[in-house]
Amino acid sequence: MINLKVVSPQKVIFEKEVEMAVLPGAEGDFAAMPNHSPFISSLRPGQMVTMSANKVDESFFVSGGLVMLKEKVCEVLVDQIESLSNVNISNYQQSKTFQELEGNETALGTFEQVVNNPPYK
Amino acid sequence: MPNLKELKNRISSVKSTRKITSAMKMVAASKLRRAQDLAESSRVYADSLSFILSSLAGNTKNSSDLPEILTGRENSKISLLIINSSDRGLCGGFNSNLFRNAKNWIGEQQEKGKSVKIITVGKKASSFYRKTDLNVIANFDDLNSNDKQLQVSEEIKNKIMELFENNEIDEVSILFNKFVSVIAQEPTYQSLIPLSNEEADEEVTDTSNAVFEFEPDKNELLEYLVPRNFLTQIYRSVLESSASEHAARMTSMDNATRNAGDMIDGLTLTYNRTRQAFITKELIEIISGAEAV
Repeated sequence: MINLKVVSPQKVIFEKEVEMAVLPGAEGDFAAMPNHSPFISSLRPGQMVTMSANKVDESFFVSGGLVMLKEKVCEVLVDQIESLSNVNISNYQQSKTFQELEGNETALGTFEQVVNNPPYK
Repeated sequence: MPNLKELKNRISSVKSTRKITSAMKMVAASKLRRAQDLAESSRVYADSLSFILSSLAGNTKNSSDLPEILTGRENSKISLLIINSSDRGLCGGFNSNLFRNAKNWIGEQQEKGKSVKIITVGKKASSFYRKTDLNVIANFDDLNSNDKQLQVSEEIKNKIMELFENNEIDEVSILFNKFVSVIAQEPTYQSLIPLSNEEADEEVTDTSNAVFEFEPDKNELLEYLVPRNFLTQIYRSVLESSASEHAARMTSMDNATRNAGDMIDGLTLTYNRTRQAFITKELIEIISGAEAV
């Protein structure tokens, strides 16, 4: 198990033990698992998921950020994060994320893509 | 002998002042709790970010490989000071302490032959520095009224990046009241350009046993990290300053409420004495009048 800690500029969003987390790294998606070599990467807008037994547990959209991976800790510094489990496509445009992302065209485009057709299901 | 009516008016006016100050104290106390929570919870992000930045910078052996914006320019001539004040008054020595401190700092810089530019945050600083002959290049108001702190921090960051690239400034420092405790706030400087090394130094030794791989390469990562670090540091100082402001207001309003109470006691005593004196005087008049008959 690896300790996944998700932090935004305002607060710690959540911290929990997961078997594996898949993150949208700047140069391609990668999986964070225990005993990964120490690794720092920036994130592109995309989908972040936590997995156990090859199944997706939870799915999120991240608008970009940084990740720092150490032996048993995976620290994700996100700009914005939104859970995808109960996003309703018809009303997501009114949601807070939409308004906050307004200034960021690429993140917004990716958000629509990820909501309509998530790479990990 | 003081007029009874006058005394009564004064007592009631001090009483209503006391009502106002005690209400302000309550408001400040509840806002303080929120601001303090925000300042504390934002620390996690800021700490992690400066950890990443320092391990990245520490990993680069030759400091001349690092961009100027991290290490600062040699022969720096122009310093920029960002002053975090409040939008509203009635918060004790909060702003005046800050301005006195800034004045000393500016003096020191000028002795070193540097010229100083200023960015003010908050209405109090902008109205104070408007009257001086210092070079104020921008000011940002009204941060706390509708949670614009992050947005304004972003604007300040963009401004300083632009100024640095155009060679209009060589150094950047930020001055804010650090929240030490509810009764103590301390004017504090933090250097943004060059990056202050206080925390970085101890953390680099900490990371030396864990060598990180970086993706994309270091320079691209730095390009993302440097502005992000400015934003975080500015945001943090704004939050600290707002927590300090509410704390300062709470203590000074508490004092004001207590002083008003003392004043009311004193005035009531004088009022009663005067009233008694009037009654005695009237009695004497009646008695001596009766005796004369």
